[in-house]
Order: sequence, then structure tokens, then C-alpha cells
Amino acid sequence: MWYFLELLANGALVGLMYSLAALGFVLIYKSAGVPNLAQGTLVMAGAYAVWFFISLGLPLWIAVLIGCVVLFVFGLLVERLLLRHMVGQPVIMVVMLTLGLEILLRGLVPGVLGAAPKPLSIGVGLSPVIIGDVFLNRAYLWGGVLALVLIGLSLAFFRTRLGTKMRAVSDDHVASWAVGLSVERAIGLSWGIAGIAAVGAGTLWGSVQGVDWTLSGLLFPAIAVVILGGLDSIPGVLVGGLLVGILGSVIPGYLDSMVGGSTREVVTSLIILLTILVRPYGIFGREDIERI
Amino acid sequence: MPKLTLENVEVIYDKVFLAIKGVSLEVEEGGMVALLGANGAGKSTTLKAVSGLLGPERGAVTRGTIRFGDDDLLRMGAPQRVARGIVHVLEGRRVFDHLTPDENLIAAWHGGRSGKFDEIRDRVYEYFPRLRERGRSKAGYLSGGEQQMLAIGRALMTQPKLIMLDEPSLGLSPLLVQDIFAIIREINRKDGLGVLLVEQNAAATLDIVDSAYLIENGQVVMSGRAATLKENPDVQEFYLGGAGRVDYHAVRHYRRRKRWLS
Repeated sequence: MWYFLELLANGALVGLMYSLAALGFVLIYKSAGVPNLAQGTLVMAGAYAVWFFISLGLPLWIAVLIGCVVLFVFGLLVERLLLRHMVGQPVIMVVMLTLGLEILLRGLVPGVLGAAPKPLSIGVGLSPVIIGDVFLNRAYLWGGVLALVLIGLSLAFFRTRLGTKMRAVSDDHVASWAVGLSVERAIGLSWGIAGIAAVGAGTLWGSVQGVDWTLSGLLFPAIAVVILGGLDSIPGVLVGGLLVGILGSVIPGYLDSMVGGSTREVVTSLIILLTILVRPYGIFGREDIERI
Repeated sequence: MPKLTLENVEVIYDKVFLAIKGVSLEVEEGGMVALLGANGAGKSTTLKAVSGLLGPERGAVTRGTIRFGDDDLLRMGAPQRVARGIVHVLEGRRVFDHLTPDENLIAAWHGGRSGKFDEIRDRVYEYFPRLRERGRSKAGYLSGGEQQMLAIGRALMTQPKLIMLDEPSLGLSPLLVQDIFAIIREINRKDGLGVLLVEQNAAATLDIVDSAYLIENGQVVMSGRAATLKENPDVQEFYLGGAGRVDYHAVRHYRRRKRWLS
């Protein structure tokens, strides 16, 4: 029983950290209408940035702050230099472009900053938090809290006027231009904010599993989260993350010992497959409105 | 309101397809002008050239000038043109489906958080009281007529000097068309707002506009005061449903004369 609760609690916390990695994906999909396959490498780049600034001798919080600025600017540049030329092209072109960005960054960033795994300490200590007989990973706990805060902030942002305009842009680019909204600026902003979310996710995941290229593999659970929760829903990111985290923790917790491990990836793939079969737009995803 | 002037505008899509060839037209201050023509004549393309929306369809203005007062519109992006006071109500309404009507209006507002916003939003709700009633449901679930009202109201939120309407009567009942045309006329009279109206529904349109241009195969083939055009026998025959003849000799006649017209 305690074993189950421990799997459940830690799974939920890991799930929240998946949510954090997936948040940028949703932010971009929500305003640009494009699935960003480079989200995993953005998280990796965020982790590398924070590690790099710490290695220069800066304190953690300044390193995170500078990392946020760097990835925000990087997001703006992606729009300005790449996406702006994709106006009027089919969506598949943009998807391929983000895939290219993923491959480029995954090679380039470790190539320049070093491919060997690097430790990233965020000073929360390794001793677990113990509640009853349940051992909670302290880093996961912080990750869960930060994820909740950032998701809450994103929700609040989309209720502001600027957020309303960005939702309008995601609905219809041409109609947005027609009433004077700058679609380019909205898309650039969404990439910038996704960059900031990636720094948050990168810092936490980097502290858990070290900073190297494997962080870009977070794309896979992140995609499971957004497909399950709905590609453009921020509450969906939260619920999807919790579900993916819990299922990916509880099921392997019992099955791994029987089959020799690695059932977590199987669970994640099954979640993607089943969601697409049963409910293609996810739990909270918007359906295209069609009046009859 | 400054005057909108198009001179010899030529638009090419995808670098090969010539959509309009040398269109010239004017909308005077506070004027109400219609652009009439059949499907594919180039009416919508003309409007998109003015509002700067050709880019997403890989079209471009390759010749000619478009001026609004002293401003050369072709040097500006779409948002700057809106800031100068030109707004385009797209064909097929294109409201923001997943936003409420109220949020649709907020999205189109560009000023700060001022009392002016409330004033203009109230005026929109005065013109279209239905929108206030439906304020909480998503715009995608409004009826076609309500969506058209929302599209016009949303455009008014940008505080335009010239509003361009692309087939506002599309898919609406004749009664609703009358209502919407009456409101457009009222906005034009009361606020001194210039109107450029694109329509296929020539009969209803010629009743409310001051002047009109007929466009065919990407060229302006006739223009003048609405009253004069209504009297013109060709216009009567081709655009106003003729004089009620159902004679197949007339069909051949029509074909022959149509060629002469273009």
C-alpha cells in the first residue's frame, strides 16, 4: 500500500515536471497553431544555458534569469529569421522546420558546450522528504510546485487583453491581420515565452538527471502530455502531465520487475496511441466548431 | 477621412496568375462605393491589395499605386494600414470562433485601457444589440447573421476611417441583408465612415451606395453614379436580372454582348 502511494505521489510530481516541459509546446500551438517539435531541445538548451552561466561563477538565480533572457530572445529570433518566411506555406513545412531546428540544436549545443553529462545543482539537497512511510524526491517536489506556479501564470496571462489577442491570432491569422493584430509579433512572443518555460523545465530536469543531450528526449513524454490533455489547453497540460506521470510511474512500478524494465516508454506510447484513437483532440482540446 | 485612390493596380498570384489587371478606383471622403462583379472577377483581390492581405495567399501587387490620403499603402504591412484607418471585413465573416463576442471586440481594440474603449464598444452594441445578448457564448456558435454583425462590429473597434466589406450578404436571408445594409448605411451617414462594399447582390447594393464600379476579368469595365448605372441597359440585363425575359434567343444575345462588355 505504501509502495503504491509512493509510486503515485512521485509519479504525480514527475508528471508535473513533464507538464512544465510540455507547457512551451502548448503556448506555441495556442498562438501559432504549429506543433513545435523542437520543444525538447529548447528544454535542453535552457538547461545548458543555466549550467553555462553557473559555470561562469554566477549564483543560481542570476543564471536562471539570464538563461530566461537568452531563450526568450532566441524564441523571438526563431520567428523573425525562420517562421516569418513560412507565411502562406502549408503547416507541414513549419513542422519540418521545427524538426530541423530540433536536430540542429541537439547537435550544436552539446557540440559547443560539451557533450559529457554535467551536474546542475539547484541546492535542494538529496535527502527525500518523508511523509508517513512515503519517500518523496525533494527535487521532484520543487519541480511540481514550480510547474503549478508557471501553469497558473500562463492561465492568468491568457485572460489578459494581450492574452486574448494571442488567442485570437491562434484562431485565424488572416482575420487577425485584417483587424490590425501583428500575427508575427504574437508568434514571436509565444516562442519567447515557451523559451522561458523551457528554462524552468531544463533547470529542474537538469538537476535531476544531469545536463546533456538526453534532455531533448523529453519531447516524447511532452508530446504524450499534450496529445492526452489537448494540444492547445493549459489545464490539459496539467491534467495530461499528472496522468502521464502517474501511469508512467505506477505501471512500471509493478511490471518492470516482471519483464525486465523499460515499460515506462511503452506506457507513454500507448497513451499517445489510445488518445489518438479514442479522443483525437485530447481531454480539453478544442474541437473545431462547425455549425450545422 | 482621406481619399482612397487605386491607380492601375495589378496583382499576380504565385508569380504567374494575373488576377487583376490595371484596376483604378476612388473612394471619396465619407463616400459609399460598391464594387460589383461575378465570381472570380477580382473583387476580393482588389480589397486584399488595399488591406495588405495578399501575402498569405502568395499574391503581390506588381504594378500601380494605392494611396490613402498622402500615405503610400504599398509600403506598409497590414497592421499599419489598420492603424491608418483602413479595415477589411473578410468574406465569410471569419470571426474568432473560440472567443466570445466580447473577446472578439477586445482583440480588435488597439488603444490602452481607457474610457474610449467602453464608448466604442457600447456604440457597437447599440448597432447590434444581439451581440450583447450573446456575449457569453463562443462566437463560433452564433448564427450566420450574428457572425456578420460581429465581424462588422469587430472592424469598428479599430476606429476606422474606411471600412471595406467583402460580401456581407453572403449566405444571409434577404430580410437580414436589408437589416445589415441599413446599418452599414447608418454607420456611413452618422459617423462619416467611408465604405467600400464588394457585392454580387447588385440589386440591393445599388439602392444604398452613391456610386459603383463594375469589374470583370480583373478589369473595371464601367463606373458611375449608382442611379446612372441602374438605368444602364447592360447593367440591368447582366446584373439586375434583365427585364424578365425567359427567351433562349436572349441567352445568345447575352453571350455576345457580354464579350463586347469586357
